Amino acid sequence: MLIVAFAATVLGVLFLLAVLADWVSPYDPLQQDLMSALQWPSSAHWLGTDDLGRDVLSRLIYGCRIAVIATAEATAIALVIGVPIGLFIGYRGGWWDWIVMRVVEALVSIPGIMVAIVIIAILGPGLHRAMIALGILFSTSFLRLTRGVVLAEREEVYVRSARVVGASETRILLRHIFPNIAPPLIVQTTLTVGAVLLAEAGLSFIGLGIQPPQASWGTMLNTAAAFMDLNWFLAIPPGVAIILTVLSVNLLGDVLRDSIGRGIAAAAPPPASAPRVAPLLARAPSDSPQSSRSDEMLRIEALDIVIAMPGATEIPVITDVSLAIAKGETLGLVGESGSGKTLTGLAILGLLGPVLRMTHGSIRLNGRAIHDLDQKALEAVRGSEVAMVFQDPTTSLNPAFTVGSQIAEVLRIKNGLSAEDARRRTVQLIDRVGIPRAAERAQAYPHELSGGMAQRIAIARALSCNPSLLIADEPTTALDVTVQQEILDLFRDLQDEFGMAMMFVTHDLAVAADVCNRIAVMYAGEVVETAEVDALFADPRHPYTRGLLSALPQGSSRNPPLPIIPGSVPRPGTWPTGCRFQNRCDRRVEACEARIPLVGAERMVRCVHYQNARLKAVLS
Amino acid sequence: MLRLVAQRVLALVPLLLIVSVLTFSFTSLLPSDPVDLILGESGTQEQHDMLRKRMGLDQPVQVRYAAWLGKAVRGDLGTSFFSSVSVTDAVLQRLPVTLSLTAFSALIAIVVGVAAGVAAALKPQSLADRLATLGATFGQAVPNFWFGLILVAIFAVGLRWFPATGFVRFSESPSDWLRSVTLPSIALGLSASAAIARQVRSAMVGVLQQDYIRAARAQGLSRSRVILRHALTNAMVPVVAVLSFQITVLLGGALVVEQVFSINGLGTLAIGAVRQQDIPMLQGLVLVMVALVVAVQLITDIIYGLLNPKARPS
Repeated sequence: MLIVAFAATVLGVLFLLAVLADWVSPYDPLQQDLMSALQWPSSAHWLGTDDLGRDVLSRLIYGCRIAVIATAEATAIALVIGVPIGLFIGYRGGWWDWIVMRVVEALVSIPGIMVAIVIIAILGPGLHRAMIALGILFSTSFLRLTRGVVLAEREEVYVRSARVVGASETRILLRHIFPNIAPPLIVQTTLTVGAVLLAEAGLSFIGLGIQPPQASWGTMLNTAAAFMDLNWFLAIPPGVAIILTVLSVNLLGDVLRDSIGRGIAAAAPPPASAPRVAPLLARAPSDSPQSSRSDEMLRIEALDIVIAMPGATEIPVITDVSLAIAKGETLGLVGESGSGKTLTGLAILGLLGPVLRMTHGSIRLNGRAIHDLDQKALEAVRGSEVAMVFQDPTTSLNPAFTVGSQIAEVLRIKNGLSAEDARRRTVQLIDRVGIPRAAERAQAYPHELSGGMAQRIAIARALSCNPSLLIADEPTTALDVTVQQEILDLFRDLQDEFGMAMMFVTHDLAVAADVCNRIAVMYAGEVVETAEVDALFADPRHPYTRGLLSALPQGSSRNPPLPIIPGSVPRPGTWPTGCRFQNRCDRRVEACEARIPLVGAERMVRCVHYQNARLKAVLS
Repeated sequence: MLRLVAQRVLALVPLLLIVSVLTFSFTSLLPSDPVDLILGESGTQEQHDMLRKRMGLDQPVQVRYAAWLGKAVRGDLGTSFFSSVSVTDAVLQRLPVTLSLTAFSALIAIVVGVAAGVAAALKPQSLADRLATLGATFGQAVPNFWFGLILVAIFAVGLRWFPATGFVRFSESPSDWLRSVTLPSIALGLSASAAIARQVRSAMVGVLQQDYIRAARAQGLSRSRVILRHALTNAMVPVVAVLSFQITVLLGGALVVEQVFSINGLGTLAIGAVRQQDIPMLQGLVLVMVALVVAVQLITDIIYGLLNPKARPS
């Protein structure tokens, strides 16, 4: 808003000065007074005088008038030439279109100022002729814009259907084109005005535009250039005038482009930010201790992550998540989208990004705390000790490099292999993940591979440094069903071979059952249940787990329609206190309002009903 | 890659042909009769006719075009009406001047623009970002020749670090060349660097959110390596796509900036040719400039293909 006010003020003053030049300028802009030539600013001449003793302020004010006339003229000419021709060739198509567009291409490939120079050579210099030259020059952008809109409109359904029912296509086109063309034309006009101002000043500066003694900003700079060593101040007023004017026009253009570009969507207020929740008070040590195991690879303890936007209350997205994965074990992290599974994975790698922050808890890998490592130490851990495979293989490989070079790069940087060794090892890895003709495929770019193939490459890259933990984030979700099973089999084989621990993030319990030993179910930033796969499927305890399980197809088409869990995962910041599943739960009781810990040893569950069972067991 | 080059070169032939037709027909629209211009009021009717015949002006326009094109293909762009020097010689003599100015300013614009754009994109809304965005907005509003005047006032007249005017050829003295070309190139490159900075910023902000950036970080590659190699390579794709346009603008701007520094390049030649309505000179200048632009387009197309594997013909 401040920008618009600034730009509008500058342009308003410019217009006023242009209109009122005869009254407000203190001197006649052409009045020479050789006795007081090249004076510095004084009370008599606020901006000094030029080489012929003319008052610079007065010339500057009359220059406003020239600037307004010049830009209006050139822009109008550009519109009058460009828009009708663009409409015509866009509508007619065929040879007309071909010839005009070749001419436009040719014009555009000559530097603009040279086009103007040639036209001025034909017409001769001077304000109006130079503006005709600039008008012709800038008409090409209007022409192309108009043509583009017409061509786009021609393919619209209503135009084609009008053609089918025999209505006049021309009339329909004209009726629909103008509303569509107005917004981009307005934006293009502001862009043109700025460019015309600069071009006019440039032409006048080299003496081919406005001719002396007429006062324009460009000719004033031409004079200033000749006397730079005697009075450099002469260059300041016209320069500042040009910059302020062009800046204002460009700023207005930017604002217009943004508001038109965003269109109607922008008119609606931005979505209200998530309701504020009271910041978590310093919580007592985790209310869900996990028994420690000797062969642990990864241990996450009481992890809290918040969205920390500057100037806003922190919104928790992960609270009190504790997990452990043993050597050679695969833990499935299961839940609907928005439950915080991926964030947990990214937190292990220290890749939460600028907005998310870990506020509590610890992450240990092989017994070493990695959550408070500095950047360099973290980089050493990533890839070598923990690696990650992402959901969409087509976007997680860099499109600019061959897939082989992306694996080899990791081998060279992380493992210090020579280029030749890295290349050889890359081919071995690509071969190992089941891609035939590995040496040849290493030379392929990601876009040349199918999704399943690309995911195999991503897996090969993740395995390149023999990590002790592999995080797989929905690695089969983006793939065709037929390919999914192959990739899952590959994961199982590789784990047997490499002996690493694996964290398998998925929303699909069936997939988790296929590859995992244990499963942790997450809901709204919390772990609600963990169990061995068989135990979980045999006896799901948390109502949410039961909901997920009953939503699984059972393999028979005669089964009743799959029940679904009503509602969806509440967004961070809208979580109820106490049990976060309570609003979707059919077993809700009053006690659900209170905070519920994750309890149990081998099997853990966060539900008031098991809380009670355990309490009863303890009491009896 | 060879195929790409061949494709592009072939596509350029019609363009050059159209430009030659355009310039030829435009310049034959010139209001004044060159014979009158050369001989002035003096000279008998016979002399006029003789000159007209010698210049081929008694022929119909399409014959003159064919003759001109035939010579142009062989590198002969005709003879100036006024100085009776060969247009080819005159243009070739000035070409290195304008070319080195344009190339050096393009280098400055790319280095400054990319650095500012990347710095701004790394921390959106930070102080660096705001400064870069503000600078870019200003940079695009400053006329290059005015910026040149100010640079002369400060660094040539005031501090005497650089010469205020003139141009030294690289072949004569590389260090003096650098001194003579620095201020004009900075003046010329300012607005292009602003435009490039804006493009790099917006492209880089988009690329940094891509999965492959996070994946490269997850693989333990260092931040600087991921930014400079993985992100920048991709962010430069849309920038290179419009780079030839920026360089075309620089070439045009060089014609004006040359005047500030009294550099005797193509700009001075063009302005003189306009004043004297020297048709062969103008035709030659336009054609040479289009050839330059076309060469730049070819180079940026090749770089584009190198950066963006999807653009390569397979």
